[in-house]
Amino acid sequence: MKKTIITKAQMGKVHPLIPEYYEQFTAGKLSRREFLRGATLLGLSATLAACAAPATQVAATAVGASDAAASGGIVRGGTLRNAMQLQLLDHPARLSWIEGANVVRQVGEYLTETGVDNITRPYLLEKWVASDDLLTWTLYLRKDVTFNNGDSMNADDVVFSFGEWLNPDIGSSMLGLLSYLNGPEDVEKVDDYTVRLHLNSPNIAVPEHLFHYPAIILHRDFEGDFVKQPIGTGAFTLEEYSEGERAVLKRREDYWRMGEDGQPLPYLDEIIIVSIDKDAAVAAMQSNQVDTMYIPRPSDWLAMKDNPELVVRPAQTSQCYTVRMRVDIEPWNDVRVRNALKMCQDREKILQLAYFGEGDLSIDAHIAPVAPSFCEKPIPAYDPQGAKALLAEAGYPNGLKVVLSTKNDEAEPEIAQALKELAAPAGFDIELDITDSGGYWDRWTEVPLGITAWAHRPLAVMLLSLAYTADSDGNPVSWNETRWVDDEFSTLLRKAEKTLDLEERRGLMCQLEQIMQDRGPIGNSFWKRVWNITNKKFQNVKSHPSSYDLFYEVWKSEA
Amino acid sequence: MESQQNIKKKNYSLRLERISQSLRLIFSSKIAIIGLSMFVFWVVLGIVSIFWTPYEPNATQFAQNLTPNATNWLGTDHLGRDILSRLMTGTQVILLKTRLPGIGVIPGGVALWGVFGSLLLGTVLGLNAGYRGGWTDQVIMQFLDALIAFPVIVLYLVVISALGRGDLVVILAITVTGAPGVARLARSLALDIRTRDYIRAAETRGESPWYIMFKEILPNVSSPLLVDGMLRVGYAIFAIGTLGFLGIGLPPPDPDWGNMVNEARRNIFSNQLAVIWPALSISTLVIGLNLFADGLNEEINRFQK
Amino acid sequence: MARFLIRSLVSTIITMLLVSLALFFLLEAGSRDVTVRILGVFSTPEQRASLSLQLGLDQPAIVRYGNWLIGNDWRVQRKIGYPLEAIKNEKTEEREWWANVNGQLTRWKLEEGVLIALLRQSDGSAIEQQAETSWKTIDDQENGANKQVFWGVDTKNNAVKWVKGEGKEIYILTKAGMRKEGDGAQQYIPLTKGLLRGDAGLSLQTGRPVMVTLLPRIRNTVVLAGVAFLVVVPIALLLGILAGVNEGRFLDRFISITSLGLTATPEFVTGVFLILIFGIWLKWFPAVSVFLRPDAIFSDPKIMVLPVLTLTAVELGYIVRMTRTSMVTVMQSTYIRTAIIKGLPYRRVVFRHALRNALMAPITVIMLHVNWLIGGVVVVETIFGFPGLGKYIYESAIFGDFNAIEAAAMITVLIAVVTRLVGDFAYTLLNPRIRYS
Repeated sequence: MKKTIITKAQMGKVHPLIPEYYEQFTAGKLSRREFLRGATLLGLSATLAACAAPATQVAATAVGASDAAASGGIVRGGTLRNAMQLQLLDHPARLSWIEGANVVRQVGEYLTETGVDNITRPYLLEKWVASDDLLTWTLYLRKDVTFNNGDSMNADDVVFSFGEWLNPDIGSSMLGLLSYLNGPEDVEKVDDYTVRLHLNSPNIAVPEHLFHYPAIILHRDFEGDFVKQPIGTGAFTLEEYSEGERAVLKRREDYWRMGEDGQPLPYLDEIIIVSIDKDAAVAAMQSNQVDTMYIPRPSDWLAMKDNPELVVRPAQTSQCYTVRMRVDIEPWNDVRVRNALKMCQDREKILQLAYFGEGDLSIDAHIAPVAPSFCEKPIPAYDPQGAKALLAEAGYPNGLKVVLSTKNDEAEPEIAQALKELAAPAGFDIELDITDSGGYWDRWTEVPLGITAWAHRPLAVMLLSLAYTADSDGNPVSWNETRWVDDEFSTLLRKAEKTLDLEERRGLMCQLEQIMQDRGPIGNSFWKRVWNITNKKFQNVKSHPSSYDLFYEVWKSEA
Repeated sequence: MESQQNIKKKNYSLRLERISQSLRLIFSSKIAIIGLSMFVFWVVLGIVSIFWTPYEPNATQFAQNLTPNATNWLGTDHLGRDILSRLMTGTQVILLKTRLPGIGVIPGGVALWGVFGSLLLGTVLGLNAGYRGGWTDQVIMQFLDALIAFPVIVLYLVVISALGRGDLVVILAITVTGAPGVARLARSLALDIRTRDYIRAAETRGESPWYIMFKEILPNVSSPLLVDGMLRVGYAIFAIGTLGFLGIGLPPPDPDWGNMVNEARRNIFSNQLAVIWPALSISTLVIGLNLFADGLNEEINRFQK
Repeated sequence: MARFLIRSLVSTIITMLLVSLALFFLLEAGSRDVTVRILGVFSTPEQRASLSLQLGLDQPAIVRYGNWLIGNDWRVQRKIGYPLEAIKNEKTEEREWWANVNGQLTRWKLEEGVLIALLRQSDGSAIEQQAETSWKTIDDQENGANKQVFWGVDTKNNAVKWVKGEGKEIYILTKAGMRKEGDGAQQYIPLTKGLLRGDAGLSLQTGRPVMVTLLPRIRNTVVLAGVAFLVVVPIALLLGILAGVNEGRFLDRFISITSLGLTATPEFVTGVFLILIFGIWLKWFPAVSVFLRPDAIFSDPKIMVLPVLTLTAVELGYIVRMTRTSMVTVMQSTYIRTAIIKGLPYRRVVFRHALRNALMAPITVIMLHVNWLIGGVVVVETIFGFPGLGKYIYESAIFGDFNAIEAAAMITVLIAVVTRLVGDFAYTLLNPRIRYS
């Protein structure tokens, strides 16, 4: 790679804060990831930022290094077979499951991309520029992007997509994320390739939000059913989509991004996704009937990790299983009862039982170590006696019978079983109500006590505002499954959302984490690791912490 | 008076003789003895488990996926629970106890109650069809035809998706799926017997049809029905296992053999034994009941000859 | 003979009707309040009532049973006054209902009290214009006043009754919850062609018509079960005869014990171990049934090997035991003994005389056994990820997808009943001695 050197003065032209970040970075106060995040956030393009910050962390370069080695003998063609359940798919903005997004993202694309290194870069954008007060964001679109129906992408498509996200009838989870936009009127088309967002409150997470999985850029004529109208800017076209059966994606000839060999991406000819359950998928992986599968469970990982035909790529994530309690329902409205249950988590044991130790222990806050500005805290010990005392204090000296609901397709049953046993000495008599995943997602916001699997978010503030806040009327937002709204917490969170200085934000995070630990609505034993397990024939495979399938640059060696 | 008493006495001694006869029948067949002992083995193990198991069956207190060793004779499962304790406890819900919400636990397992239900329903329908004949027969047989048309598992699935999970639902499902078979058997037996002289005699005496069906016909058809019932307990255990495997069987927390297979199946690549143990339990219990019924059948046939 | 056949046929039809009634009302009772299922327990009574109205649940159950079975378009089009047509979407095969207004396919919507007609164009899109059709005036008995009503087809495939000036406040179900809106209709009748005419309604699970998924799955299952049947029956008959002829000898004991063991081993255990041993350790056959193409069952028949083996293992034992018993009985019968005593060659006795009589019973039982086979198919398909009818029923039952369960269960029952009917016919042909009572 040609070495580009940029000076501080050049950085300063992009944004006055960048040189300051650079100094913090060289002084060791910021990690490379945090610097890149900060600099790209302020409009420095990702490649330039990377040049300014020579890689110092092995982890961050590992991916790049293998890519470079791999690019030597790229082979085009071939089919990738992926095992993943396919459910109802209609409006991409309405996606509430990543499997669906993993199909749609092969056909459509996002304005930004949060890479496997947890850094967000412009994608369909040339760059973004935020005003100093973070209230005005200008998005500069790429001019060379075309849809698979031949139309070129312009500001109309982006404005239309924002309109869909912000339309309450569509019911997109983007609506909650983009709460800083009052409505479509805050999305201004400046010219054919420029869109400006006018925020009603400052927010630093706009680029990450634009990569939230429902945020596919739609064609301006989209009518609401992606299967009927599979129009997008992505590298594949959707040839077939049958719920519960299979999806077939074919290479598109005129895709806008170029591969290493100077031809348009993708390298693969075809992707076939078969909808089989995970038990069948694990067997299919091992008998070479499929090449990869969606989110292997820990038992699947155990079965396949030593298979010489398969390559396991782990990724640290901010995915977790929250034992979440509805604070508007007895007995969970009493903070002492909540804390008693939290104290019943033998975190190490739960991690071992549910995930074979493949994760990172956590405190009872929904803020992951992979997030920039994470603040480290000591892990609470297992304390059934303390919990018993707390229960007695709350008016349950003889213990308390509760029902714990969850789903059975991941590690939840193991956590539920373990918690049931661990909490028994404290006086909790937990009855388990474990259903298939559809049965739980139908009522995940409604059950009094449940274990909910939360997907990865690159920034902690994104998740916190999604799940632990209220709307302007004071009602809990739609994904606030616990109904927990805490004034101090909300105020600090709003402050963090507009704090640019990473150290200052870390301080706020410390307080937020402490509040959640002290009086929050969730227990959280560990952050899970995800594994991408793929047949060794496939090169350039990336393990994304959100389990997103990034197939554009994957190629299949002939062996 | 005297003669009546004599008859009563005679009846009593007849009954005694019948019991001893059946006992002799059982013990004259090696196959029946083998079958019976396999069945008794599980019943005893189940009764023991009510009072004692090596470890608490639901406690996750050992390392995961252990092979058999001195502490855990059959090893541990994917959550580090003792498999032997879980197998023993698993007998309870099938053979020894039924959990009814709101009422509590009643003795007699789900499989037994289910088969009892199908025997009861099937016999009533079958005897009526066979003895009364005519329109009653037509209507009952048409109704049974519709029931039989359902593949058993499909009927289970429909019932469970309509009524939800629970011990009572499983009992109901076993009853409904078993009744047509019992009824057909009872009908054919009743058709045979209703032409006998003593039925005629009872009819001339003016006895009510119900009296004739249950006092005159039933005692004479009870042994094939009971043998059939034995086989049905086997089917029922099989079906409960299948439902457990599909994740829609008896509700937790009590261990359920079918569900144990299902859970262990995820870890089969590292721990095959955890699948084999509950599978063997189902098989031995079913084989035991089958052999018992087979042996009895053979002996009854020989006896009748 | 003809009378017997007709009687069987009539009885079969009555059976199917009974089954359909049982299915419909069992699920009707079981589903309790569908609106609560859809809207969640925290919905308000008004929201539930509104949804219930929009789903047409205000009609009596027996009417809905009729709609489900034979459809209602033929009945409803009298109200609307124009013939109704269902157009299938090419990609998803969803039916869109339109009224044929003098050759122009039309639907309507009410916007702020104004009736708007949507005219379908040949490319599938629709243009809006103010509706030409006018309101009809009817006498309102209750209020003593005249009302202007309009029956039309709305954009959600309902026949609806609008009343002028009385746009009803309704709750529209969106993915974000219920939204209140005016301009609602007074009555909704969801249009359907009915199960018998190939319309099983929409699947809750996929949001697409049940039939789109169901038809290929029926084909897959019929092929799987058919192959299993062809494999099982000859082997089982052969083994059963061998055992029966050698009654009491080692071969008999061996076959009997093995088949008992196979019968008593649940198919889910057999299946799991076949996958492990032949699919993963030895890699002789594909471990599970991955359908990379819709017609994989023909282009890649190897995916059926292990499912068929599993079904064989379970089904084999039963038929072997049945055949053995039948053979033993026949071999002990007087005429066979006489034949042997008369000095006829043993082989000839077995093949000429015993076999024919001994096979009669098992063959009838085998035809009855088809629905047992279907039961096994549910488990086998689930284990092997085989996209067939059994797995479909299982998944629908788990999900509570009522339209799907009803249609799929009806099909399985139909298959079972028809094979039984065929068995009856075959039996009467095979056995001329049967008396038609």
